[in-house]
Amino acid sequence: MSVSPPRRGLFSWLDRRYDLAPLAAFLQHKEVPLGVHSIFWYYLGGLTLFFFSVQIATGLLLLVYYQVGEQTSYESIRFITTKVPFGWLVRSMHCWSAHLMIVSLVLHMLSTMMLKAYRTPRELTWITGFALFALALGFGFSGYLLPWNELAFFATAVGTDSVKAVPWIGEWLMHVLRGGPDVSGHTLYRFFALHVVVLPLSVFAVVGLHLLLIQRQGMAPPLGREAPRGMRFFPDFMLRDLLLWLIGLILLATLAVFLPYGPRIPGIEWELGRKANPLAPAYPGIKPEWYFLWVYQLLKEFPPHILGLEGPQAALAVVTVLFAIWALVPFLDRRSRRDEPSPAFTDLGVAAVLFIGFLTLKAWDIGGGKAAQPDPQAVARACAIWAFGAGLVATALRRALWHHAWFLFSAAALLHIALHGLVGMSYLGSGAIAAIAVAAGLGFTRFRAHRTVPAGDRP
Amino acid sequence: MTPLLLALLLAAADQMPEPIRPFLAAKAKDGTPVLSAEDRRKLEEMTDHTRQLVATAADNQILGSAAHLKILLSLDLPAQAMDLVLQDNCILCHSDPGNQKPRALFSPDPAKQGSNPLLDLRELVSDVHFRRGLSCAGCHGGTPQDESMSNDIAKRWPKSEARHQDRSWIPGFCARCHADPAFMRGFNPTLPTDQLAKYQGSRHGILLLQEKDSHAAQCVSCHGVHGIRGPKSRKSTVYSQRIPDTCGGCHANPAFMAGYKTDSGEPMPTMQVAEYKASVHGKALLEKGDLGAPACTGCHGSHAAMPPAVASVAQVCRRCHAQNGALFDGSKHKAAFEQHKWPECGQCHGKHAIEKPTDALIGTAPGTLCADCHAQHAKDNAACSATAEQFRRALDTLAAGRAEVAPREEEMAERGLDVEPLARAMSELDEALVQARSRVHSFELGTFDQAARPGREALEKARQSIAAARSDYRFRKGGLLAAIGFMGLLAAGIVLKLREIDRRRRE
Repeated sequence: MSVSPPRRGLFSWLDRRYDLAPLAAFLQHKEVPLGVHSIFWYYLGGLTLFFFSVQIATGLLLLVYYQVGEQTSYESIRFITTKVPFGWLVRSMHCWSAHLMIVSLVLHMLSTMMLKAYRTPRELTWITGFALFALALGFGFSGYLLPWNELAFFATAVGTDSVKAVPWIGEWLMHVLRGGPDVSGHTLYRFFALHVVVLPLSVFAVVGLHLLLIQRQGMAPPLGREAPRGMRFFPDFMLRDLLLWLIGLILLATLAVFLPYGPRIPGIEWELGRKANPLAPAYPGIKPEWYFLWVYQLLKEFPPHILGLEGPQAALAVVTVLFAIWALVPFLDRRSRRDEPSPAFTDLGVAAVLFIGFLTLKAWDIGGGKAAQPDPQAVARACAIWAFGAGLVATALRRALWHHAWFLFSAAALLHIALHGLVGMSYLGSGAIAAIAVAAGLGFTRFRAHRTVPAGDRP
Repeated sequence: MTPLLLALLLAAADQMPEPIRPFLAAKAKDGTPVLSAEDRRKLEEMTDHTRQLVATAADNQILGSAAHLKILLSLDLPAQAMDLVLQDNCILCHSDPGNQKPRALFSPDPAKQGSNPLLDLRELVSDVHFRRGLSCAGCHGGTPQDESMSNDIAKRWPKSEARHQDRSWIPGFCARCHADPAFMRGFNPTLPTDQLAKYQGSRHGILLLQEKDSHAAQCVSCHGVHGIRGPKSRKSTVYSQRIPDTCGGCHANPAFMAGYKTDSGEPMPTMQVAEYKASVHGKALLEKGDLGAPACTGCHGSHAAMPPAVASVAQVCRRCHAQNGALFDGSKHKAAFEQHKWPECGQCHGKHAIEKPTDALIGTAPGTLCADCHAQHAKDNAACSATAEQFRRALDTLAAGRAEVAPREEEMAERGLDVEPLARAMSELDEALVQARSRVHSFELGTFDQAARPGREALEKARQSIAAARSDYRFRKGGLLAAIGFMGLLAAGIVLKLREIDRRRRE
């Protein structure tokens, strides 16, 4: 079904000069595959890009008045939010879109994980997506300090301090990040440069590569479907994309008007408060942004020394291993490479959500009441009840709706949660038991598979 | 474990001066070393000079045993103070449990040793006199080098019965140094030397020195004996937050104060300390930690303590409340109060039990200060009633206005609205309220209104800023609605377009 490019008007004028007909033909022929699952998941990448565009637009507007510096950052943000016409709206939309971008990015990654869209030949698309996720976290971390208020100052001090745990170069790396031994005006300048120059340029490059790979290879068809149905990208998919962006913009504007400083949940709030004072003592209850909370809580779960390592070093090693596993999923998942269902990696995605969700709930001190120092056992119990309940519901739904039968990782995550929160074991002790259970389960699965495959067919 | 520790101690003993080595090898009855590894570390960390002083004391057998050395090490003294202890035979001899009976033994834990609580070794080495090099011999006689009790000590220090029966010797004894400017200059040139002179004229001094009442407070009653600290030390009995209890030790004790009379001949009350602690001054000092708030000595004086006379009590208040005093001095009430011989401030606010004043004290309704006093002493004065009513009305208006606008600040901040104009107006209003309440003491409408008027203006500004913020918020919501409407139309257009595309394809 070929459509002849139009021959009149502006397009014709441009086409004669720049030979746009092949591009138009490409767009008209480009199709988005339709699978058994909702097509909604295909829109999340575009939605993330939309929120990123809002970030760029509002960021540029903030730059018109923002003046970086120990004596000017706080004052200029205050001026923007109180005196500049619609300045409050611009800042609020900038902050909200940053959080919504992370939400849609995480959902996009999870949907890619669940649909196995990362499988051969799209490994590099996954890797570039993971790099974009890391860059988005960098945006959040560097942007947090720029208002130079008390909360940002102390959160950045804690965040940059944790870099010390990196073996051998930790201390040096912290000095490089801070521009000295402490968080100071030098740190502010560095983070500003990162936030408005280095990271945007990096994101443009990686997003460009990510989109190029998608255009070259097309969107991943559903697993096991040789000839999927398709939806034309232009105008059908594009218009639907636009519709979702409009809904996203309405949501963004509504949140910006009614909750201009966020929902006032630790890690999702950006009220300016008091100006940073490096000489003031840090106050309790300082927490990083919500997407770093699980790392923050994991650091707290580790004792000062473990297995010959400093506690933070061990925690950082665990986080690095988890990130590495996540980044290398396309190479680890051999079944999906053969275009076969890989329920283990679906379950790994669910287990990751349970693991991160439980730590995040703990970081919010759910169940701790309003005490300044909540009882850790009460918090662990309440969070375990929520996370365990959610895990059971998810498992039941997976079984009933999608007939899933592989639950080893999610069962281990639930065992970890139950042993720690409901039985009262230490977090690391229960984690070790869960890890042993996973290893035993994997060994048993391999052993059973080995016995059922005839000797001649074994790889 | 124990043999290992012992081996370590013996190995380390080689590096210690010869007289100390037996202490390191000494064992308790259960076979464990008397000196722990921690004690040994302390010995190792000593300067060579201090360690040599330990060795000399051990060689002279005035440092009698490992247990004695352990006691001295447990004090964790800085090097300079440890040197003082090691060169003072009085302290060394009287801190050796093997050499002294409990009644004369200085111990880190007198209760455990059964000795006098005043013989607390930790207190002694914290004493401001000791820290400046003045030790036992300074008061008791003899010299720190004496190896036994000398005649000089016996002569200077009266027998226990005699010195307890008549305490009048104490002020003069302390004044030997503290009233000598030349001597005191060598220690603390800023320390006054007129304490004895003041004390002699104080009520306590008159009782003790003239009436020979040894119940009356003298130097050690307030400052203590061994363990005296400077008044800025939190542990000092004369630190401002501890003064009420120090004075209360006698003045809040009915049995102790029985028989004493006030100037007017009434029995001396003992409720002052309790009343003070519940007062605005007591709460400020003891609960809020405001060291500027007066304790007992703030009004009565310390060494020259006397009850302030009616004529002078108001001047005491003026030391802090100067503006209120000046306004009162220019008011009509000044002459009236003098005529009645009333103690100005105290007449309305009380003495020890001064409460935080409220606007409810002012007005013409029964129960208000103005109405109750005028009902007795200046009835049917229409001008005064009008003034009091105006004061109350104006203060009530400002206070009610403040209560009305204050919660709006947080509400506006939560909505992301500009709270600066409101915060500024609130600050002006608060200042105006403070000033207006103070100017009540002028009892004159014009003076009062100079402060109340800016308050009313600030209140009006606050209300205007709230109205402007509300209008801004309405604009935001309206703008959002319009934007949603516009985007909704766009979305509807897209939906229609998609339907049209689908329909065309089906056709």
